[in-house]
Amino acid sequence: MSGALEHRDVRLAVGADPGHLSPEIEAHLAACAECRRFRDETLALDGRLRAALELPLPEFRRRTPPVRRYALAASVLLALVVAGGTWLFQPQSALAGEVVAHVEEEADSWSSRHQMPPDSIAGVLDGADVDFDARLPIVYAAPCKFRGKRIAHLVVQTSHGPLTVMILPHVTVTKREKFSEDGLNGILLPAGKGSVAVLARGDKVDAADADTMVSAVRWAK
Amino acid sequence: MNPPPGGTSAAAPFSRLLEMLRPDLLRFAFWLARDRSVAEDVVQETLIRAWKSRDELKDPAAARPWLFTIIRREHARLYERKRLPTVDVEEVEALGDPALASDGDAGLTDLRRAIMQLPDEYREPLVMQVLGGFTTAEISAELKLTQPAVLTRLFRARNRLRVIYGLTPAEDVE
Repeated sequence: MSGALEHRDVRLAVGADPGHLSPEIEAHLAACAECRRFRDETLALDGRLRAALELPLPEFRRRTPPVRRYALAASVLLALVVAGGTWLFQPQSALAGEVVAHVEEEADSWSSRHQMPPDSIAGVLDGADVDFDARLPIVYAAPCKFRGKRIAHLVVQTSHGPLTVMILPHVTVTKREKFSEDGLNGILLPAGKGSVAVLARGDKVDAADADTMVSAVRWAK
Repeated sequence: MNPPPGGTSAAAPFSRLLEMLRPDLLRFAFWLARDRSVAEDVVQETLIRAWKSRDELKDPAAARPWLFTIIRREHARLYERKRLPTVDVEEVEALGDPALASDGDAGLTDLRRAIMQLPDEYREPLVMQVLGGFTTAEISAELKLTQPAVLTRLFRARNRLRVIYGLTPAEDVE
């Protein structure tokens, strides 16, 4: 594939939705260094774009919400609080909550004990456009959808017990964030162009283990 | 896992879902309205409407786009109901909002301000895609636009932001 019009078509597709490219566009990218550079730039821009859109909520919430007079609003808020939600008054990470919810939906993943065959792991990683150090004992690997994108959901055995590792190439976090919810403890860590979520059941995630998981990640070019 | 019918015990999973997604609802409303007070009003109305309609949500995995859709409608409704003036790009008060500032990362602050100044027709699909996780087909259905029109708007939105990011913009499309 070559020619000015075709380059323009490719850049339209990349500029519109860099995370979902057709095989035809991918084929062009494989053969065209200029368009590939455009794609790489756009992916880098998208990482920054996501970070930009994810406004810091504590700052956002510092202002007192407007007082509402509607009885319905009051009853809804009361119901939410009664139902266990004190969330209106507690800054928290939406990403952490989504990660915990995702892991809870795959509760069986924790019970895996046997190392996965390399081919199965490679299939999961390829589908998610990432690589992971094969020397680590991966006992569970599944391709999952998270925030609309395919990601690799792994469980790795460590000396401190199993750790869930979710590799999130499309989610940017600006700094380490620890979280704890429903008996799951975890850390969100910046990693290259994206981020990694590392979770443990019960005990807190050992910081060195978390660093090992992040350093095991290799992003696809 | 559908939310069970009404009652306090049944409300807990739905409440938790809202709790989880509320930060992004606020962000989405803020990027739509470009006004913090309006965004907070929109989210509050959205939570009320979502609570009343919670039985319509059959799949919790679809909660995010479902709530974002309600946000969009409540945002439009608020402008209709209160006859709020539309905000001129050059007069966006929120450009000075401290939430846009990023400690030690001036580039991120500039990018936020640039997003804020994108025309509505570019900013809205971009925020739906990047923050909301909508596919281009879903954006097309939601905004009642053809898919090529959505692709063009997303391309142009990113193309404008490329300049802020120090990149050369691509040739525009018809």
